[in-house]
Amino acid sequence: MAAAGGEQSVSIRLVVNERPHVLDVGAGETLLGTLRERLALTGPKEACCEGECGACSVLVDGAPVASCIAAAGSMNGRTIRTVEGLAGAGELTVLQQAFVSHAAVQCGYCTPGVLMVLTALLDDVPNPSEADIRQALAGNICRCTGYQQIVEAALDAAGAASL
Amino acid sequence: MSALGASPARSDADAKLRGEAVFGADLTRPGMLWAAVSRSPVAAGQIRAVNTRPALAIDGVLEVLTAADVPDWRTGVIVSDTPFLAADYVAYEGEPLAIVVADSRVAAEAGASAVVADIGPIVPISTPEQALAPGARLVHPEWNRFAVAGGADIGRDGNVVAEVVHDPGDLDAAFAAADLVVEGTYRTPRQYQAHLEPKMALAVFESGRYTIEVSHQYPFRLRDRIAQMLAVKPSSLRVVGHHIGGGFGAKLDVSVEAFAALLAQRYRRPVRMQHRALEERLVAPCRANALVSVRSAVRGDGTILATEVEIVSDSGAYANNGPALSAIPMFVFGSIYRVGTARIRTRNVYTNTAPTGAYRGVNGPWLVFANERHMDAIADALGRDRREYRLASLSQDGELMRNGQPLEEVSILHEAFERVDELAPWHAISERTAASKSSGDGVLRGVGQAASVWLTNPMPGHATVKLNEDGTATVITSATENGSGAVATGLRQIAAETLGLSADDVMVTMPDTDATGYDAGSQGSRTTHVVGRAIADAAAEVRHQVIDHAARMLEAAPDDLVIAEGTVTVAGVPAAHLTLGQVAQAATWSQGPIAAAASYVTPTPPHDPMCATGMLIKGWPTPTYHLHQAEVSVDPVTGRVTVDRYVVAQEVGRAIHPAALAGQIQGGVAQGLGFALSERVDIDHGRYVQRTFKDHGLPLAADVPKVEMIVMEHPDSAGPYGAKGAAEPPVVPVAAAVANAVSDAIGAPIDTLPITLEDVLDALERAQ
Repeated sequence: MAAAGGEQSVSIRLVVNERPHVLDVGAGETLLGTLRERLALTGPKEACCEGECGACSVLVDGAPVASCIAAAGSMNGRTIRTVEGLAGAGELTVLQQAFVSHAAVQCGYCTPGVLMVLTALLDDVPNPSEADIRQALAGNICRCTGYQQIVEAALDAAGAASL
Repeated sequence: MSALGASPARSDADAKLRGEAVFGADLTRPGMLWAAVSRSPVAAGQIRAVNTRPALAIDGVLEVLTAADVPDWRTGVIVSDTPFLAADYVAYEGEPLAIVVADSRVAAEAGASAVVADIGPIVPISTPEQALAPGARLVHPEWNRFAVAGGADIGRDGNVVAEVVHDPGDLDAAFAAADLVVEGTYRTPRQYQAHLEPKMALAVFESGRYTIEVSHQYPFRLRDRIAQMLAVKPSSLRVVGHHIGGGFGAKLDVSVEAFAALLAQRYRRPVRMQHRALEERLVAPCRANALVSVRSAVRGDGTILATEVEIVSDSGAYANNGPALSAIPMFVFGSIYRVGTARIRTRNVYTNTAPTGAYRGVNGPWLVFANERHMDAIADALGRDRREYRLASLSQDGELMRNGQPLEEVSILHEAFERVDELAPWHAISERTAASKSSGDGVLRGVGQAASVWLTNPMPGHATVKLNEDGTATVITSATENGSGAVATGLRQIAAETLGLSADDVMVTMPDTDATGYDAGSQGSRTTHVVGRAIADAAAEVRHQVIDHAARMLEAAPDDLVIAEGTVTVAGVPAAHLTLGQVAQAATWSQGPIAAAASYVTPTPPHDPMCATGMLIKGWPTPTYHLHQAEVSVDPVTGRVTVDRYVVAQEVGRAIHPAALAGQIQGGVAQGLGFALSERVDIDHGRYVQRTFKDHGLPLAADVPKVEMIVMEHPDSAGPYGAKGAAEPPVVPVAAAVANAVSDAIGAPIDTLPITLEDVLDALERAQ
C-alpha cells in the first residue's frame, strides 16, 4: 500500500463520507492508501493487498470496490463511502445493529468490508435471498465466523428494513 | 437475572462495526521510522555476500542491517536454533537476511526489495522423507550445539528436531494372535492460518525501556522472546496489545517485533514494521504437514489387541514449538477408542521450508484424521457398521490414556453419539447413501463420523477485579481477545455473575505486560476457563469486601445480605439497601478502594511420568468431548464434493455466551472444511507453490453450510461456573468426518488431504 508512491502526482476532487476533498495523489497510490494515510480513515482495512479478501472494500458511487487495488488517481469526481460513513456519529444502521444481535462480529477485521458490500446489496435488492447474500460476499473472506451469523444478520436487516 | 447463558453484546462490537477499533496494523506515531525485512529468495544456500548498496541508494533509506550488525546468538521457544538474521547459510525461503530502516514505509519496502543476496545454492531438503533418508544433508550442520530450554532431552538427532517414543514393550505376540491386521498411511498438508491482519509491531525506546505495541495473541511470550533475542531483562520490555485481526495461532511467537525493538533503541525513534502480503504467507507458521502410519492387530470380534503408530511431522527450518506438539499423539490414540497395547513414535523433522507452528487445534486435525480413517478401515475390514463399531470401541470412564491419565468423563462420547443420532439418524441416512450407489440421479452420497477428546490449555492467567466508585467493575488482565469473544463477552459475564451486575457494567482492559500478572495468551481455548477462573476468584473476594462494608453501613449481619442487579439488600427488608456505587464510594473514602486479584493455572492431571521419552506436554487437562457427522454428495463425473449436512455435538462444561459459542463452532468447522476440501499449501523444492491469497482456496460464504449444533453441558468443578474450553476444538474432527463421508460415497478410501477433484476421480476409477 503506497500513499506516496511515484514522483508524479495528479490532482483529484472527490467526496468521502459526504465531505469534499481536493488531493494531490501519487501515480502509484491506491485508494486504500489515500483513505488510510491522507484522510486517517482506517476503517477500510489493509489485508491481502491483492483485491481478494475484501477487507478494504468501500463504496465508489454506491458500488463495492476493493480499494487496495483501485488507483487513487482514478477517483476524480467520485463519491466514496467507507465504514465510518455508515452510522457517522449517530446510531448504528439497521445492518450494523443486526451484526451486534447476531454475534456476527468476531475479530472484526473483515467487518468493515463486509458491511460495505452488504450495504450495497441491501440498497440494490431490498429482499435478498440467502443465496443472494452468499453470492454478494464472494469477494469477502471471513476466517472467523464461517459466515453463518453474517448471513443471518443480513437477512434480519433486510427483513427489518422492508417492514 | 443471570449474566450467564444469555448473549449480551460484545464490548468491542460497536467500535469494530463503526471502523473505529484500532488494530495493530492501524497504529501510527509521530516521527516514526519504518523498517522492512529483506528475505532469502531461495530455500537453501550458503550466503556469500549481502549487497546493501542498492538499498542504500534509495531516497529515504537510512541504514541496512545485516547479520554483522545484530546479535549473533541463536534463540527459540524450545530449541535455540534461530538466528536473529541469517549469517552463514539460509535454511528456508523467506528467512530474514537484512533489515532496512527508512523514513517512510515506501522507502523501507523498496529498500528491502533492492538488497541483493549472493547465495550459493544448495539442493533444499523439501520433505521430511528427504530429511530422514540415510545420508541426508543436515539442515543445520551444528544442530548439536543448539541449546534446549531447561536442558530437556527431546530425542534430537541430526534432522530430527524431537522424538517422542511410547513403547510399552513387545507387540509381536498381539500381532501373531490377531485375526486380521489393518494398516493405513494418512498424509496431510500444511494449513495457512490466513488471518487477515498482517503481523506488525510499533516499538518505542524511552527512559531505558522498550514499549512494543502489537496485535498479538500472547504478549508475555513476545516479551520473553524479544528479551531472549536482545539479551535484555524481560522487565525492560513492556508489551501493549491492541485489537487483533485474527491469529488462529499465527500470532503466538515473535515475528518482526525484536527487529523493531532493536531499531527503536538504535535510533531513539518510534519504529513501525509490518509484513507485506507475500511475506506474510511465506513465513506464516502453518499447521505442520504430516505422515501418520497406523497398523492394528484386530481380533475377529473387533477387539484391537495392539496398535503401532509411526508419525513424522515437518518442523520446517527451525524447531519453534514442534517438540512440545510432538507429545499430542499420546493424547489422541487410545483416548477416544481403545487401541490395545500401543507403540507410538513421533518424529518432528527439520526441512528447508518455512517453520511450522501453532494453528488452532495443533496437530489435532491430522491425528484425528488418521485415527478415524483407520477406524473406518477396521470396521470395513470386519464388515461391521461403522457407527456400531465405534460405539463398541469407545473408551470407558476410568480407563487410562497412553500417558497414564484416567479418562474421567469419556462416557460423554456415548451421549454425543446418542444426541447426534436423535438429530440425524445414522441408519436412515446410511440406507439413503447406500441406495444412491445403485440407483438414483448418479450422485453418490456418503456419511461419516469423527470423534475427539480435546484439551483446555492449562497455562497461567491472572486478573484484578476492581469495583469502580459508580458501582461498575473493571477487569484488568492481559488475556487477549483474538475474536472469539472470550474476553469481550465471556470474562465480563463471569465477573458480572459473581458481582451481581449486568455484563454491560463490566469493562475489561487491553493487554499490558506492565499492568497485570502473566497471561499465557489466546491459545487452546484457555481464556474462559483459566482467566475466567481467576476472575471468578477475584470477583468473589471483591464481593466479600462489598458485603463486609455494606453490613457495617446497613448495620446488618453479612450473611443476611443479598447482591443482585447492582444493589445490596438485607434479605426480607427491601427498604434496607445500598447500590454498589454507594458501597464503593463509602469504602473508597474509609477503608480504601475495593479491589482484588487472583491467579490460576490448571494443575497437571495425574499421569505416568515414565510413559514416554521426549514428552514436554505431560497431561491432557480439562478435556472436552466431540462428535461430528458429515453428509456429502459426490458428483462422479467431476469429482466435486458437496457437504450437504454437518452436525456437531460438543461438550463445553457450561455455555457462557451461546451465540459466541455458535460462532466458534461454525467458524471452526469452516476452517476444517477448508483443510478437508479446498485449501492448499503445496511445497515444491522447498518453496511454497501458492503465491497469492487467492491460490490458497479459502472457504467462501457460498461454500460453508449452516452447521447444526448440539451443545452438551457437563460443568467442570474447577472452571468458572463450570466452563471448559470451547473455541479451538470444533476444527479438529472436521477433515476426518468429511473424508469418511467421501470414502463412503465413492466406495474407496481417501487417506490424503485435501480431497481434490482428481483424487476423487482417481479413487473412483481404482474402485471400479
